[in-house]
Amino acid sequence: MNTSLARSQLDRLLGKVLHRGTWLGSSIIALGLVLPMIWPGISSTMIFTRIATAGIALLIALPILRVILMLIVFVRERELRFSVIALLVLAIILAGSVLGIASAKSTAERGPSETRM
Amino acid sequence: MHVGSVAWLLLVSIGAGALGGALGMASGIFLVPLLTLFGRVDIHAAVAASIVSVIACSCGSAAPFLRSGLTNIRVAIVLEVATTLGALTGVLLAGTLSTQFLFGLFAAVLLVSASQMMTRRREISGEPDVFNPRDWATVLRLHSSYPDHALGRDVFYRVRRVPLGLVLMYGAGLISALLGIGSGVLKIPAMDTALRLPIKVSTATSNFMIGVTAAASGVAYFARGAIDPAVAGPVALGSVLGALLGARLLMAISGEKLRLFFVVVLVAVAVQMLLSALGIHLLGHLA
Repeated sequence: MNTSLARSQLDRLLGKVLHRGTWLGSSIIALGLVLPMIWPGISSTMIFTRIATAGIALLIALPILRVILMLIVFVRERELRFSVIALLVLAIILAGSVLGIASAKSTAERGPSETRM
Repeated sequence: MHVGSVAWLLLVSIGAGALGGALGMASGIFLVPLLTLFGRVDIHAAVAASIVSVIACSCGSAAPFLRSGLTNIRVAIVLEVATTLGALTGVLLAGTLSTQFLFGLFAAVLLVSASQMMTRRREISGEPDVFNPRDWATVLRLHSSYPDHALGRDVFYRVRRVPLGLVLMYGAGLISALLGIGSGVLKIPAMDTALRLPIKVSTATSNFMIGVTAAASGVAYFARGAIDPAVAGPVALGSVLGALLGARLLMAISGEKLRLFFVVVLVAVAVQMLLSALGIHLLGHLA
């Protein structure tokens, strides 16, 4: 198999992306926490909420990015089966987000009393 | 946002992350009980916040496993079809299940985790079963090898019973989404017993998969607006810091007594969760 070298390169790439992404996401959240404390006068809750949400979104996106990277490599190596499998995983995650948006809408329509949290 | 509550969330999640890191578990298993029992956070909110920290811990710890060639990413992506489907089912079910049921389920998962911790994971030196060139693992070329530093050479391994592994992984994804945990409880038997992966490969691969599994439900909860940044932000940050600390602790403290201590903690938390499921609060009003 010629995959051994390619494999270890892909492993390293994925590791690097996940590692740096985690630090970036965590740092953004930390910034959201610290900024309102050292910068009084701005609407701290709003700033905090926005920055922290960005950090959280980045953290959630990391594993998805990792699947996309794997998909790209599988397609390049013409691994048809694995390309389809990676696409399937992405499709399921996408279905989850559509589902989430749909349920958010239906909750909004039913009125705020039923809103969770 | 109160500085007090942020500090409390940070501290609690550093603690949960450190415990998890020291045990090689995700922080969620300690985080959700702490948030619900002491912080009086609604269990659905606690689960959504915990999912983010589960993702962060998985991604943050993936690199060393990947670098040392232990993670089997082909096995991971195949099983992720099942875990993400399970997660999707969990998100659909989550809204319909009562708080009591979730507390009860959580207690059950804690008890199973405790019993798993008591029985050491052992390599199952399986009978060399009949080689079937048409089984899933062979067709998908999942068999692989990993570098064993003690032996100083690459160890080849075969992957068995992929369909059974997929079924167990569907369950793991479901539990993960419902309870906001990495759900090693089902992943470990799936990897060790069904697929017969070597323990090191199984640990690395399951850790790698936890991120995608949790991201599937995380995206859905995020889109639904169920993730409160005021809770999830400090919790994710604290868990990442705690996990770093825990990994250091793991090297400093020896194994057996630590395991026993955690078994006691797990059982105690399980009992408290069960009592909460029944509406009895012994500790719930402390916070």
